[in-house]
Amino acid sequence: MALQTKALTAMPTVPNREDLEATWKYLEHGVAKIMINLQDGIDMQTYMGVYTAVHNFCTSQKAVSNSSAGVIGGAHRGAHLLGEDLYQNLIAYLNEYLRGLVEQSKTHADEALLSYYIKEWDRYTTAAKYINHLFRYLNRHWVKREMDEGKKNIYDVYTLHLVQWRQTLFTEVHEKVMDAVLKMVEKQRNGETIEHGQIKSIVDSFVSLGLDEADPTKSTLDVYRFNFEKPFLEATKLFYQAESKQFVAENSIVEYMKKAAVRLDEEEERVKMYLHPDIIVPLKKTCNTALIADHSAILRDEFQVLLDNDRYDDMERMYKLLQRIPDGLDPLRAKFEAHVRKAGLNAVAKVAVDADKLEPKIYIDALLEIHTQYSGLVKTAFQDEPEFTRSLDNACREFVNRNQVCKSGSNKSPELLAKYADSVLRKGTNGAEESDLENTLNQIMTVFKYIEDKDVFQKFYSRMLARRLIHTSSSSDDAETSMISKLKEQCGYEYTNKLQRMFQDMQISKDLNTGFKDFEAGLLEPGDEKQVDASYSILGTGFWPLNPPNTDFTPPAEISKAYERFQTFYSQKHNGRKLTWLWQFCKGEVKANYCKNTKTPYTFQVSTYQMAILLLFNDSDKNSYDDIVKATQLQPDVLDPAIGIFLKAKVLNMSPEGDKPGPGKMFSLNYDFKNKKIRINLNIAVKSEQKQEVEDTHKTIEEDRKLLMQSAIVRIMKARKKMKHTQLVSECINQIRSRFVPKIPDIKKCIDILLEKEYLERLEDDELGYLA
Amino acid sequence: MSTEKVGTITLLSNDGMSVSVDRTVAERSMLIKNMLEDLGEGAITSDIPIPNVNESVLKKVIEWCEHHKNDPPTAPDDDSDSRKKTTDIEEWDQKFMQVDQEMLFEIILASNYLDIKPLLDVGCKTVANMIKGKSPEEIRKTFNITNDFTPEEEEQIRRENEWAEDR
Repeated sequence: MALQTKALTAMPTVPNREDLEATWKYLEHGVAKIMINLQDGIDMQTYMGVYTAVHNFCTSQKAVSNSSAGVIGGAHRGAHLLGEDLYQNLIAYLNEYLRGLVEQSKTHADEALLSYYIKEWDRYTTAAKYINHLFRYLNRHWVKREMDEGKKNIYDVYTLHLVQWRQTLFTEVHEKVMDAVLKMVEKQRNGETIEHGQIKSIVDSFVSLGLDEADPTKSTLDVYRFNFEKPFLEATKLFYQAESKQFVAENSIVEYMKKAAVRLDEEEERVKMYLHPDIIVPLKKTCNTALIADHSAILRDEFQVLLDNDRYDDMERMYKLLQRIPDGLDPLRAKFEAHVRKAGLNAVAKVAVDADKLEPKIYIDALLEIHTQYSGLVKTAFQDEPEFTRSLDNACREFVNRNQVCKSGSNKSPELLAKYADSVLRKGTNGAEESDLENTLNQIMTVFKYIEDKDVFQKFYSRMLARRLIHTSSSSDDAETSMISKLKEQCGYEYTNKLQRMFQDMQISKDLNTGFKDFEAGLLEPGDEKQVDASYSILGTGFWPLNPPNTDFTPPAEISKAYERFQTFYSQKHNGRKLTWLWQFCKGEVKANYCKNTKTPYTFQVSTYQMAILLLFNDSDKNSYDDIVKATQLQPDVLDPAIGIFLKAKVLNMSPEGDKPGPGKMFSLNYDFKNKKIRINLNIAVKSEQKQEVEDTHKTIEEDRKLLMQSAIVRIMKARKKMKHTQLVSECINQIRSRFVPKIPDIKKCIDILLEKEYLERLEDDELGYLA
Repeated sequence: MSTEKVGTITLLSNDGMSVSVDRTVAERSMLIKNMLEDLGEGAITSDIPIPNVNESVLKKVIEWCEHHKNDPPTAPDDDSDSRKKTTDIEEWDQKFMQVDQEMLFEIILASNYLDIKPLLDVGCKTVANMIKGKSPEEIRKTFNITNDFTPEEEEQIRRENEWAEDR
């Protein structure tokens, strides 16, 4: 603080505080200066003068009010609060000023009108801020008291300015202003450059005028919505309706889609550039309706053409457009699904000329090709949208399970798939790389996902896995494990349980063989002849899909000692377990030392049955059919093909010559045997055997299904005790569906069986009851 | 607007005396703050006239503003009940308000005019404390008010306000 005595500033001359007329005249002069000439600046004297005049008037005790005499000084007020006169005078002034603006506005139109409106709006609102400050004393006391007392239509001075603008000017000019705005927007939509800052200013002004009548401190968008948004949307709709109608008539659908996409982007850009963000949703809706929904029918018609011609880009365009409108994509999905199904069926038909001789690989490749093609389409054009993926899945499930190859029954696909898997996993069939192998397994799983009769696949797969394990013909243990874990992932533990147990058995057998070697060595007396070198696999009865041999067999003496020793060894180790020898799966090698034509002896790879036959020729060069039967005890249906292979390979000669071995024939060793290879595989499965096996598998599947359905029914009934027949059937289908799709008559048959066995009883009203 | 700018401005009292004051101190007055913002730097060409306040009061008010320049700004219209109801006054302000009655009312009027709400509150609370616990006669004496009620009028008012008496 410092006292100074420098050149004094003039004190503003303030009018007599008790003279309303003089005070207002003084104030009006100041207000007008701000309103009209603010750009010239206002000096301190005027500023302080106006403020002081308002203050003095409001604090004067004896001012006489022109209006509502008697209220002033009313006992409930507690104190004199003057100011209403100033407030009313200010309103009158603003009204007159604004009316003047309205008159002037009539000389302008279009863009000039916009410029005029914006200029005046800016000037007015800036002035309002100043005047609000100058009338702050009025705001703090008189206005506050009026509002506290709940008086309507009293605002602080700034808001009062907005209210007056709305009442006096806005109501008169807003339609014309809006017309000008819409004209500008239309120009822009037609490619002209416009000064869009103007529209932005108009939007801001309209938004500012939204005052909540109930609570003046809050603002609403009502004024803007009604006076700007509504006409804007209406104009947008008309514009795009007209444009799209004409464009569609003159151009291709593909061209139209490009155009529409561009237009939609433009509108979004427009919102960002100069519209209120609040409009974005209704504007999108309006555009979507005019540009897409109104033309959705012809768009959808075009979809089939695009599909047929693999027009990925255009389909993507269509997807992006139609996803904007409600339910826009459903018809596309339906068309897509039908198309994929048809493509799948055609692909199968092409390879299925002879269904019986169909190579599994060709069939599976055909299925995969379609899937790969269309999942690629879903990915690139339909953005991996889940519903399209579902349509693809539906279509694939259809053509995988019901096609020309599956005419005889839906279990052909799983059978072929399992065979394909076998060919992939078997040694030597293809020198595939590790990574390729994994890929192929994944592809198999892709098809597997669509297979309905998963139980059929399981049966075939486990049979073929058994064979791969017994004959150690798997190409890689890792691949086998990987495949099983994939199946487990899809179908659960139960589905792969047996497969895994088969693996374990093979592992245990390996250890067992090592133990047996030691055991055998311990038995060996010095000078004993060399043991037969053999390995044994112990396969758990319940887990392996194998049956005991259906023929009697006396194993040759050369190996019987060895296997008896093993039996002793095993029963020592695991007391009480019964071993059944699956001779039909056993094999061995014999050396043919008798051949004249070669120095190194040939080695024959033979089945144990064949071994038994060949070994007979160690004792005599000639054996009759009956001798062989007697020695081996083999049934003719096993014996004949085994001999047949020897004859065909010219290991044995038959006399008298004829087409088939049988009683009365004599067999002699062919000393002149000749072959390019040293090792000759004579252990060849016979075609008829294979076919037999397939049929057997199908038969067991049918049996297993019956059991599965029955156990499902019993499980359900045990939980529910009572149930309607139809409910039971549908519940049963639900439970089993992950394995196969049961047929209703089959379920009914199973229910009948259970009724007969008295697991269930018939109650009244088509209900079934559970009998414990 | 350059509200950040710390500088010195000069106020001119209505009895013609200049008083220099830090701009931030002066801006405790909403009137001065708004004016500086509205008019901008360029308009402050000379002393700022304060037509309704004399030098001694102006200096007193500035003293208060100086002391309170670092107070957190009260939220506009902070009429929370706690602040309204309490008549507690902090120690410095109590001492500050130990002035003769005429000065006290001048300070109240000036703070109302200059729009310094916290100072106005302190002033009003001081007056309220002067009234608290006094009988009408004592109050009249304190503020030097002549009783212009007739005895009948006074009796009627007493009866009307009987419910408010302490008992």
